[in-house]
Amino acid sequence: MLSIKNLDVRVEQKEILKGFNLQINPGEIHAIMGPNGTGKSTLASVLAGKNEYEVTGGEISYLGKDLLEMSPDERAREGVFLAFQYPVEIPGVSTTNFMKAAVNAKRKHLGLDPMDAKTFLQLLNEKRAIVELSREFTSRSLNEGFSGGEKKRNEIFQMAMLEPKLAILDETDSGLDIDALRIVANGVNQLRNKDNAFLVITHYQRLLNYIVPDFVHVMYGGRIVKSGGKELALQLEERGYDWIKEEVASLA
Amino acid sequence: METIEQQFKNTPTTQLDKVRVEAFNAFEKLGIPTSRVEAWKYTNIKTKLSKDFILTPLESEVNTAVKNYIASLPPYAFRLVFLNGIFHQELSIIPEIEGLYITNLKEAFANKSSNIEQYFGKAVNYNEEHFAALNTAFVTDGAFIHVSKNVAIEEPIYLHYFFTATDADAFVQTRNLVVVEDGASLQIAEDFRNASNITVQYNHVTESFIGKNAQLTLVKLQVETKNVKGIHSLEALLQRDSTFNASTITFEGNVIRNNITAQLLGENAHADLSGLYFGKENASIDNNILVKHLAPNCTSNQLYKGVMNDESVGSFSGKIFVDQIAQKTNAFQSSKGLLLSNEASINNRPNLEIFADDVKCSHGAAIGQLDENALFYLQARGIPFELAKQLLTYAFVHEVAERIQAKPLRQFICDKLKEELKLNW
Repeated sequence: MLSIKNLDVRVEQKEILKGFNLQINPGEIHAIMGPNGTGKSTLASVLAGKNEYEVTGGEISYLGKDLLEMSPDERAREGVFLAFQYPVEIPGVSTTNFMKAAVNAKRKHLGLDPMDAKTFLQLLNEKRAIVELSREFTSRSLNEGFSGGEKKRNEIFQMAMLEPKLAILDETDSGLDIDALRIVANGVNQLRNKDNAFLVITHYQRLLNYIVPDFVHVMYGGRIVKSGGKELALQLEERGYDWIKEEVASLA
Repeated sequence: METIEQQFKNTPTTQLDKVRVEAFNAFEKLGIPTSRVEAWKYTNIKTKLSKDFILTPLESEVNTAVKNYIASLPPYAFRLVFLNGIFHQELSIIPEIEGLYITNLKEAFANKSSNIEQYFGKAVNYNEEHFAALNTAFVTDGAFIHVSKNVAIEEPIYLHYFFTATDADAFVQTRNLVVVEDGASLQIAEDFRNASNITVQYNHVTESFIGKNAQLTLVKLQVETKNVKGIHSLEALLQRDSTFNASTITFEGNVIRNNITAQLLGENAHADLSGLYFGKENASIDNNILVKHLAPNCTSNQLYKGVMNDESVGSFSGKIFVDQIAQKTNAFQSSKGLLLSNEASINNRPNLEIFADDVKCSHGAAIGQLDENALFYLQARGIPFELAKQLLTYAFVHEVAERIQAKPLRQFICDKLKEELKLNW
């Protein structure tokens, strides 16, 4: 589904990703862990198409297409979804209207007519229930005045609405209390199936108790330096990252 | 011009004529302002208007554009239609309601209806305001609306002003006079549009008198104004416990100038003035607000938002004047601008003049561009860039539309905004 080869990325002349490689197949959940400043969020932003990142080398192929050639909105309509680390507050646009615009943009892309009001409302209510968001939330301005947990639940709600093929969760668990974490993880687990894939970026092993990954990767210095199964996350939790750094240093 | 001048040199016989002669004499002294006049700093109106404008009324033949627009309107309860300043009874709907008197100014002058002499020219300062003076002297026609004591009119009254330039030098003078007596309430929508493809010039004045505990909501719509040079003066006198709600919505525009003055004359009066303007191409849209707190315990609010595209220039000058006796005044002002191109600009000029010591006054001004992070967020959900821009622009301006308390008018404005921004939800 997603194939990243030798990706080099710069931000303002600073090299963040250096020869990054990753292969994700349908039905898989990949977790990326690693210390601060190793380029995890940069990876998420590059995949979603944020324009301040300069790709200086390598390639990203998504469903056989060159992802880097696509605009952020094209990527989203093709099924790429980024759950933001810091969801943006947009006063004046309700979550409902925002989702209506997004759902219909995708439908238009697929050659379908806009969804009728009744079907849309049903869909909205159904997906809202997955992340336990009240009706009031969807009629309020997007993320405005939402708590951290509500914002993250709103991200998962949007993901449920748009049913992406590849969902990237950028530190969705950071700062969440255990209830919110459970709700978010629950949402992801309900959505996972054999045709979609998840890339979960996290600092903490805790999330992976709820969302069980098929692969755990450790990122350091702009690339993946170690990969393993879910047990790797437990190891990291226990031993921290110093042993990884030492391993990398000894190889250099 | 000659004959009109002549007309005013004759000895005035009625009170009305007296006012008009005074205004004429004032205009002779004032003339058309240059940009050296402080209040006209941002709009060099003298260079924008035709040099030798003419004031004689134009033909008023109803064209297809007018017909089509009228036909497209929902079945409003009340509607008055003016074309080139001339009243069209056949296009208007004026049901008879007890306690509500509506007619055109000409008719009201002729009949001296509802003591019109008591009001005409009493809210505008024609001795100092150039265009108010010109209008007072040369007004063609307009609406006269009088609501009697304690009468609440639920349905808005729509006043449609169409212009078709049959002469490029024509300068049409239109005017409304609104009297809301004690305890009464009224909603008005003034809709101005160019019904031709060539440039039109007009000068409109609305005088409003709001009695004790009365309420007036006025929405001014300036749409289809691509070739319009329009000058608007809105004057409101508020008695105690009254409320004045005015919203000015401007789309496009060539040269649009809005003067608004609200005078809070009695205790506990409240004025809420808001505006939205969208500039395109080389439009110049200039809002000039003055709120005068002349009694204690009054409140006022100004909220203006501008969205400027291309090379358009927006201006906001807002002044809050608080008289020495106007203690416990609460007065706020906010002006925000959104620039959608590098060549567009907005001039913000707040001005507070406070002579009382126990007041709360504040002003805020901000000009910026669309938030890149917000744009990316919308795009990351599949919303195309152009639509994302429109959504965020709507989000920026919707606050002003939400302020309109009268629901039918609020809906009307929201629909217009969505239409303008090509949003279909």
